[in-house]
Amino acid sequence: MNLICNLFSSIFPSLEGDGSQREREQTIDSSMRFAVLGLIKGSVFWLLVASLLGLIVSVKLHSPTYLAEYGWLTYGKAYPAFWNALVYGWLFNAGLACVAWIIARLGGRPSGNSAVLAISTGAWNLAVIIGLFGIFKGDQNPYRMLEFPTYAAPFLFAAFIGLGIWILLAFKARAYRSSFASQWYALAGVFCFVWIYTVAQVMIFCMPAQGVFQSVIAAWFGGNLLGLVVAPFAFATIYYLIPKALGQHIVGYRQSGIAFWSWILFSSAAGLASLVNGPFPAWIASVGVVASFGLFLPLSVFTMQFLSSLFSSFSKIWDTLSVRYVFYAVVAFIVATVLTILGALREVQEMTQFSQYNDGVRYLFLVGFAGMAFTGMVYYILPRLLNKELPNPSLADLQFWVQGLGIFLVTVSLVYGGWAHGALLNGSDADTIAILKSTDTYLFLTTIGSVMFAIGNFAYAVSFVWILLSPRTEKEQSADLIEPAPELEYTHS
Amino acid sequence: MNRGPFIFIGVLIIVSLSWAVTLVKPIQEGGNLSPIGKGADRVPTLVEGLALRGREVYQEQGCVNCHTQQTIAVTGTDIERGWGDRQSMPLDYIDQSPVFTGYNRVGPDLANVGTRRTEAGWHYLHFYNPEITSPGSNMPPFAFLFEKRKIVGEASNRALDLPEGFRVEEGYEIVPSADADALVAYMLALSQAYEIEEAPTPEKLAYK
Repeated sequence: MNLICNLFSSIFPSLEGDGSQREREQTIDSSMRFAVLGLIKGSVFWLLVASLLGLIVSVKLHSPTYLAEYGWLTYGKAYPAFWNALVYGWLFNAGLACVAWIIARLGGRPSGNSAVLAISTGAWNLAVIIGLFGIFKGDQNPYRMLEFPTYAAPFLFAAFIGLGIWILLAFKARAYRSSFASQWYALAGVFCFVWIYTVAQVMIFCMPAQGVFQSVIAAWFGGNLLGLVVAPFAFATIYYLIPKALGQHIVGYRQSGIAFWSWILFSSAAGLASLVNGPFPAWIASVGVVASFGLFLPLSVFTMQFLSSLFSSFSKIWDTLSVRYVFYAVVAFIVATVLTILGALREVQEMTQFSQYNDGVRYLFLVGFAGMAFTGMVYYILPRLLNKELPNPSLADLQFWVQGLGIFLVTVSLVYGGWAHGALLNGSDADTIAILKSTDTYLFLTTIGSVMFAIGNFAYAVSFVWILLSPRTEKEQSADLIEPAPELEYTHS
Repeated sequence: MNRGPFIFIGVLIIVSLSWAVTLVKPIQEGGNLSPIGKGADRVPTLVEGLALRGREVYQEQGCVNCHTQQTIAVTGTDIERGWGDRQSMPLDYIDQSPVFTGYNRVGPDLANVGTRRTEAGWHYLHFYNPEITSPGSNMPPFAFLFEKRKIVGEASNRALDLPEGFRVEEGYEIVPSADADALVAYMLALSQAYEIEEAPTPEKLAYK
């Protein structure tokens, strides 16, 4: 067998033979430096925008007169602008940067076409600007995560096609035939976004379904955007970072396939659970509840894999910045998914339906899980892409703790405050304003959490600009700083 | 799982299955409802004229982010609160696109606000400054939908009759804009106060 392989590779020489591992990595990095940095720049910019909007939204919730004289910034516009800037601005830019880089690196060969990636990145960010501008102008749609006006959707879609094609080409150009879990999730996320966004746009806006079925489609889309696009990108980074940054292979890697397929299967309907009791066919919500419970299967596999891998090198978690973020992301993922599953229970829904509970869980899932995983990955990518060390690690330390605490505060106050609010609203006929006043403490806590999160994000932006602008030291100019990372554990099936 | 097409097809099958079962099937089965009756007896009642423009203002201002438009009778206390007499049904929404069923009740449900709050004056004051009509509310004031102008000659008969403590300085008046008029018309038109036979009500549920 070996002989045949050797013969084969002498006829078709591949890149593996040339130079050292690290030299090849540097070729890959330099082939996509501009484009990936563009995505990261976009993500940092939108993160700052989103944290500012988040702050405004949370202040407005307990002090309604704050900035009330600006019609374009009323709560009803700032709120969707915040969530859309957070997801389409920050998480998509950051997630795609991580995924594009991972695909290229795991492929082991520079794929070229970086102009496609760079142009699509620009188009995507332009589309997000158009969308947000549309919301402020008053053209928003009343559906979660579809608030961008219909005229922004084609731009968003076209830009994503460009980004997706680049990722597919990079996957296709890989030198290693076998694929790693990160690659499956990256591809799945790309396919799913194209599919669910088409379904939502066509069935709600182009050929609108009748009445309440538009809400059903929107609930399906909203759940899938989180479960089938953002989450897979985050899984891709976690599967990549644990072996690479911690030097620890994924414990129980063989079960990844089960986790992957069951996650896609159950996530694809879990979002419908939010429709219970409403003016919708009851069985649709029941499908959503059942699917939410199905998430226990992938959740247990993920928990086993990630926690065992992390705990087996526990002492190293706190020394490695990227891994610390991954640890936070994993814990946030477990908590958020458990809350999603419990939140689908009928008895719990009677308390939490229409309350801030769902916002809290969504926030934890998006920011605590996906956002923290991407931030950890960006801190892993940057020194490699630029061949510079992080100029001020203590600033990044500060960022981790402040962001972590901020996310924790926001989540706890929204989840617990939402529970308290919903229990009174759905379970009594007490005066609605009196109920609201009783949850004021939680609303204030949310603001404190948002302030902390914003401070952390500011530190992140400073770190990012600092490493971009700082001149290389002599050592950095003359030598390669990056130590070779361990190989990933591949399946050979 | 080493090939892109395998993952593509697997994911496509699963997501398409979810799409076909939870979206296409129910829409084929229940997405072709037609109104019952004609004229004044039509179910659901039509929202027309100025109220339709108000519907657009409702959408522009993002009211849906704090208010639902669905009465729930099978659980909860919506009926006790007087937010409706029966469960909202898909038939209630067949004329609407987009629908404002909503996600969050920072404020009360509005499916029947037109039968609950029948006075236009109340709504004008409420939009101008919620503190006037609902002290302690965290609804933002929509003063930007009103015009503050100098009284020239006689005061406008459309000016808001503001109570003590909220009045503007002497010689000025607050007049609603066209958008405010439309939004109030929409509020007054929001009602599901007609009967739908199969809709669950507390009485029907009690017999179960």
